[in-house]
Amino acid sequence: MKFLCVPCDSPMKLQTVSPDDRGSLSVVYSCPECGYEMAMLTNAFETQMVQSLGVRIGPQSTEGAGSATDASGGRCPFSAMLPGKDGAREDSTQAKVSDAVEPKAVRWTAAAEARLENVPAFVRPMARAGIEQFARDNGSLEVDEKILDAARTFFGM
Amino acid sequence: MKSYHDIAGDGGSRILEQVAEQRARIADGLAGVRHLVAVGSGKGGVGKSTLTVHLAGALLARGLRVAILDADFNGPSQARMAGVQRAVFVPPASSNGSGAASGTAKMALPRTANGIGVFSMGSLIPESEALDFESAAHGESHTWRATKEFALLGEILRSFEWGTLDVLMFDLPPGAERTVQYADFLGARTSFVLVTIPSEVSRGVVARSVAALAKGSHRVLGYVENMSGYYCHDCHAVKPLFVSSAPAALDIPCLGTVPFDPELARSCDLGIPFTSERETLVGQALDQIAEQLLNRLDSTSEHPR
Repeated sequence: MKFLCVPCDSPMKLQTVSPDDRGSLSVVYSCPECGYEMAMLTNAFETQMVQSLGVRIGPQSTEGAGSATDASGGRCPFSAMLPGKDGAREDSTQAKVSDAVEPKAVRWTAAAEARLENVPAFVRPMARAGIEQFARDNGSLEVDEKILDAARTFFGM
Repeated sequence: MKSYHDIAGDGGSRILEQVAEQRARIADGLAGVRHLVAVGSGKGGVGKSTLTVHLAGALLARGLRVAILDADFNGPSQARMAGVQRAVFVPPASSNGSGAASGTAKMALPRTANGIGVFSMGSLIPESEALDFESAAHGESHTWRATKEFALLGEILRSFEWGTLDVLMFDLPPGAERTVQYADFLGARTSFVLVTIPSEVSRGVVARSVAALAKGSHRVLGYVENMSGYYCHDCHAVKPLFVSSAPAALDIPCLGTVPFDPELARSCDLGIPFTSERETLVGQALDQIAEQLLNRLDSTSEHPR
């Protein structure tokens, strides 16, 4: 979708995108010639349709999508993919692990956390749970890069 | 006054460009894959997933490098059948802080006991739970869900390390219209194998899939008739499983038939390889289908149907 300032016959530029408010986004455009501003207010269907493409909505550089915020406020478009109703899959996964065997808490070093960020958001909860169990099985209550490398070797990756 | 096509870009979000970049990263990620083969049907319950995993095993036994992507996100079965339900996903070694989806750091695939790479949502979501997505359009999933699922498929293709493969097999969900949607998404590189069973109902539904695929430039290698009789382990004979008077009347080549074998079904439930038993009747049938598949892939690569 594009917007044209009719008096100036000039394409308007996207300025800001507000966080999702009950399924609606407020997307502000302005005319670079006269400075006139307007806001596009999306309904929930429009918001969801664009979100479903897995793209991010917001002012971007030409370097790609990584610098932009997405329509739901800056999270990965798939971060909320989860089984069952709304809520955090990560939390529910951890809760189940906890209920089942009451495992000891496992710390993650900053470097290991950084590597976890390389895992797609929808895989991350299971990756975290699996690695923590691998660490416990190997007598460690801390996940560092050595543990991650050992896990990759152990699981034949 | 300027028209839509007079204006370059969309003013800032670059939505179309982002979609194009996604597709480009998918193509890059699959550059090392020689053949993309989608196993579909249109009809549910005909054994697409069973055939996929065991055909992959037959191709592996022939020395090919094979992986499976379970594209049935809502009813994933490959995780169980391939024995990767409890797969551990380990973060990749390299990191530039921008995430796997950026295309720089890829996730390794879980692997079966015999070395087939498998991605299935069944490795991520327990069988007791359903796949769901957060949505701004509450209760109106029919308006956007398919779009989201294909975006997820793209995310998976971009995020995992497919590496150098001879064949990447897609296990498709049922539905003639879904088969065509996957064909459109996966593009002209993908070849299709359709699965039916010896019932008129199944043949009718699969014929619709053939007709739907024929409307595009999609390459259909042929079909496999699954559950083509029942293999009795006591008398070692194949007995009729369906009362069917007419042969399959699909206007595409038949790649082979596979009798129903309880041992094959058992191996699926337990997630253990079956096709290493090439001396069995079913193992031989799968091996012959693998041979036909490879022949068709080579012969149709320049002349899509």
